[in-house]
Formats: sequence, C-alpha cells, structure tokens
Amino acid sequence: MKKLVCLTLLFAILAGGVLFAAGGAEKAAQRTIVVVPQQLGNVVFLPAKEGMEQAGKDLGVKVDWVAPVKAEAQLQVEVVEGLIQRGVDGIAISCNHPDALKDVLKAAIDAGIVVSTFDADSPESGRAFYAGTENYQAGVTCGEEMLRLYEGHPKKEITVAILEGIPGAFDIESRKAGFLDTIKGSNLKVVYTGACDDDVDKSVVIVEDYTRSNPDLDAWFMAGGWPYIVQPGAMPEMIKWKLADPDNHKVVTMDVFPSSKDFFDMGLIDVAVGQNFYQMGYLSVENINNILDGKPIEGGMVKEGFPGLFIDTGGQLVTPENYMAEFE
Amino acid sequence: MEDISAQTVGKRTSRVLGNWFGAVVKTQSFRIFIVMAVMCIVMYIISPPFRTASNLLSVAKNFSAYAIAGIGVTLVIITGGIDLSIGSIFGFSGVIATMGMVNFNLPVFPAVLLGLLVGTLLGLINGLFIVKMHLPPFIATLGMLSIARSMCYIITEGYPVVGVLPGFLFLGQGSILKVPTPIWLMAIIAIIFSIFLNKTITGRRIYALGGNEEATKISGINTDRLKIMVYAVGGCMYAFAGIITASKLGIGQPTAGNGYELDAIAAVVIGGASLTGGVGTVAGTVIGAAIMGILRNALVLLSIKSHWQQFVIGLVIIIAVILDQLRNTKK
Repeated sequence: MKKLVCLTLLFAILAGGVLFAAGGAEKAAQRTIVVVPQQLGNVVFLPAKEGMEQAGKDLGVKVDWVAPVKAEAQLQVEVVEGLIQRGVDGIAISCNHPDALKDVLKAAIDAGIVVSTFDADSPESGRAFYAGTENYQAGVTCGEEMLRLYEGHPKKEITVAILEGIPGAFDIESRKAGFLDTIKGSNLKVVYTGACDDDVDKSVVIVEDYTRSNPDLDAWFMAGGWPYIVQPGAMPEMIKWKLADPDNHKVVTMDVFPSSKDFFDMGLIDVAVGQNFYQMGYLSVENINNILDGKPIEGGMVKEGFPGLFIDTGGQLVTPENYMAEFE
Repeated sequence: MEDISAQTVGKRTSRVLGNWFGAVVKTQSFRIFIVMAVMCIVMYIISPPFRTASNLLSVAKNFSAYAIAGIGVTLVIITGGIDLSIGSIFGFSGVIATMGMVNFNLPVFPAVLLGLLVGTLLGLINGLFIVKMHLPPFIATLGMLSIARSMCYIITEGYPVVGVLPGFLFLGQGSILKVPTPIWLMAIIAIIFSIFLNKTITGRRIYALGGNEEATKISGINTDRLKIMVYAVGGCMYAFAGIITASKLGIGQPTAGNGYELDAIAAVVIGGASLTGGVGTVAGTVIGAAIMGILRNALVLLSIKSHWQQFVIGLVIIIAVILDQLRNTKK
C-alpha cells in the first residue's frame, strides 16, 4: 500500500512537471522559432538568447531556447529530431560538428522547417543562411593582433601557448587554424596547446600550471574566453606573469564577457576579439521569420565557395584603449 | 637494573614500531602511496618546475575538491553502493551558496551552510530512493544527476552567479600559514573521516554493511538507516567540494562539476576501494585524488597534449584495479 502511494505520488509529480514544463506552450497556430546553442549553460551563448527573446517580442513570434546538456553533436541531433517531431516552424542552430548535424538538418528542411545556422556552421546541410563571425577569420584577426603586438620585437623567437576547449570542436579548430596560418613563418612559435574541455575550472588550472612552470613564456592565445568568466583572483600566477613584464608578456583572447572588464582594469588582456552573439540570436530569428513570410533575407551576402547566404554579425576588437566604452 | 629495563622498553618499542610499520606497509594505501611517490620522484627529476613549493601547493589545492568529493563517495562505495550524482550536487550546491549571497543577501556563513544543507538533502533523497523504494543506487543517483543539473540551469537560467562576498573567497583562494585553505580543509575532513571510519562503531558498521549486508542486518544493525546516512553525508561532501570550487573561481557556475563524478570515483578506485563494497580508505582516496592531480599537472608541465590526459588516467585506473585483483587472488 505504502509503495502504491509512493508510486502514485511519483507519477503525479512527473505528470505535473511535464504539464508545467509544457506550460500550455503549444498555443495553436502561433509561429515557433527555436534557437539551439551548442550547450546549455555555456555563457558565450547567453547574449544570443537575449537577442532571440528580443526578436521574438519585436516580431510577435514564439521563440524557444532548446539545448543539449553537453556540447556533443549526437545530443544536438536528438534535439533537432525532437523539434522535427514537434513541428516547429524554424530552427537556428550553432552546430557542434558540421558533418554530424548535416543529415538531421536536411531532414528538418525536408519536413518543411526553415533552418539556419549561427556561430558554428554546417555548410552542406542546405540551411538557408549562416549568421555569425567567421571563426577562421576571427583566428586570423587574433594572429594579426598578436603579430602587431610583437612588431619590431628584438627577440628572435616569441613563445606562445594556446588554450583550447574540446579538442576537435569545429569553431575552436577553425580559430586555431586561422591563428596558426597567420603566424606561420613569423618569429612566433607555439610551444604548448592545452585543452580545457570547455570546463572553466580546468581552463584556470591549465593556464595557472603552465604559466607558473614557464615564467619565460611570452604570450597566451586563448581560443575561447573560458578563464575570463572567473574573478581575476582565481589566477594569481597569470597576474604575476603578466604584470611582471607587461611590455613583453601579451595575451590575445577570443570572446568578451562582462567579467572581462576586471581583467582589462588590471591590464591582464591586450586584445580580446568579441563576437556579437546578441546579433546572431536576433538576426537568426528575424530572417527565419522573413523567409516564413516570403520576404528576402536581410543583410545576406553571397560569398564565393560558400553555400547559402552569409550574414556577417561582425565582431569587436577590444583593447585596453577602448574597453571602457565597450563595457558602458 | 635501570639499563636492563631501558633495554626492555627499547626492544618493546622497536617491536611495536616494527609491527606498526609492517602493518602499514601491507596496506593498499601504502602501495598506492608508493606509486604516487615514484611519480613525484620521476617528475622531480625530469621537470624542475614541478619541485617548486608553489607548484606542489597548487597541485594539492587543485585536487582538494576532488579529494573531498572522493571522501564522500568512498563511504558510499564501502557500503557497496555507487553515486553518480556527485558532479551535479557539486554544481548545484555551489550555485545555491553563491545565489544565497548574491540574490538573497545572506552573509557568507549562512550561505555556505545553505549550500551544504541542500547537498545533504539531495544525498538524503538519494538514500531514501535506494532504501525505501529499493531502487538500485546506479539508477537513483543517475536520476539525481539529471535532476540536480537541471535545477542548476533552471535557477540560474544558464547565467553564472557573480558578485560573491569577499569573505567567501577565503575558502578557495585564501591561505593559512602560506598553505591554501582548500588543502587545510581537505586535511581536516580526511582526518575526521579516517577516525570516523576506523575508530567509531558506525564507521565499522559501514565496512560490515559493504562486506556482507545480510549478516550485518541479522546482527541487528539498522542497515537502512546506515545507508541513508552514508548517501546524505556523501551529498554534504560533494556540496562542500562544489562550494570550495565556487570560492576558488569567485563565481557560481551552473555547469560546474560536469563529469566530476567519474573523476571522484576514479580517485576512490585508484585509492584501493573495491566497487563490490567492504574495502576502501580515506587515505587511499586522498592519494588517488593526488595521483590524478599530479598526472594532470605533469601533462601540462611536460607540454604533453591534453588529448592524452584521459588516456593516462584511464590507464592508471585499469592498472590500479588489476594490481588489486592480483593481490586478492594471491590471498
């Protein structure tokens, strides 16, 4: 009897939870556009969520944020399969891997869903457009900035360490490739690459350990901004290293977060290449809605060798000279 | 006369010390300690930065959270159970403690206490599901893994919790006598739990429960209550580890501790605990966590690609278990 009561209670909780989660969401006939980031809880994507929500309000369409709990392509495939079953009108997705998502995105298109990509593309999926920064180009910019910082430097060899996220992740690999291609043939030499698996704590440990054991290192290139999500106090070795020789020790990083300001205040970042995730979220929803209304895609460019349209959401170069304006 | 009694006392002392040393040498923890010592010696020789006090303290600071969570799950594993919700309770408690300060204006101590209470409560729920609903520990804690992680995202909406009180940072970033606070906390917890497991009746009952649950039950021990308590204490320890990490980074992260359950369980297994229950020590777990910490540090110091990290840790786990099985076969 006790068991029966417990089981009934459990099912009641479960059913209640499901109903609550559904929240009467499926209001008939309302257009639904879903944005799928690479992973739930990844702070990088939060401005995209805000952009998506604002676009939803401005356009009067229902928007939804659905993400896998881990940055894994297979989990994203399952999310998209669920969205196909749900019969949503549009999907904007940042792909964990271009090839792994290709087929399921094709299936979504075949089911009549308008599909676009943002941040990380899947060019062969047949999606209508891609909105974002070109990651390879962002890496090139980081490389160019690093070269600029060491222009005319007397040292014959400048040593650079790289922090990356999940090894093999398409966006990070593209940035790395852009960076490495740009510094090729220069006096910049990559001496170490550490992967933090998108784990903030691990990123701090790697940067701290390597910096402590290699105080003669000249520069860090962070292919993602993981260490700048924390408080500067979590990185005493980095602070010591950077402030010991700020003219020769340089840091170039991807991403700009609100928490990056504290690092700029302390002179710990030389260049940060920020991506406009808010625009990625906003423009993705806006243009999917345009397509559903039979209107043209705004701001879409045709690029040679690039299938579909490319919407450049731009990026900002944040330096110690202009960061105050950026964080206002 | 005095000389003779002095000699007798001396002989007796050396015999006692000899017996004690012999007993220590025979323990699994000592063998694991030897593995760790060999690793340290190799690193000492091939990597000069490894030997610096600041590096060694940093390694210890970094594995402290794993060790504390590992101590919690050691108790669970000794009972023959398993807990997969470590990482999620770790993350959720860190978020709760930081939100307590940031969103509810709680002072540091009550906020930390709130985080610990929430962790304990989730552990307690694990225990109740296992004991009262007869769910296998794997299933109950797997469910909690998802629930607690989901709650992290629900209450934070994915945003990190920033703006913690400066006093909170002492737990993860502070130091006492130049030794980082997390190391002190790990040492205190390790000592308390070592005494608890070895010198108290409840501790011995936990071993008995893992060794033979039926026999323990027949002998009149309330094994249900014991199991529930062990999962609750485990939850409290994962929460503490999560709070220390939140303090170390100065933020509460909804993604914190993702996948840490495997690291904590690996530390316990490397430390000589048996997944079938009845065997395991706090010292072994701390050494297991230290081995993993040293490995991670070594891979960075030796500029070895991070891709190898999981490979090496996996290899160490397998070797540790093979050695353990060989030892048991010999017995």
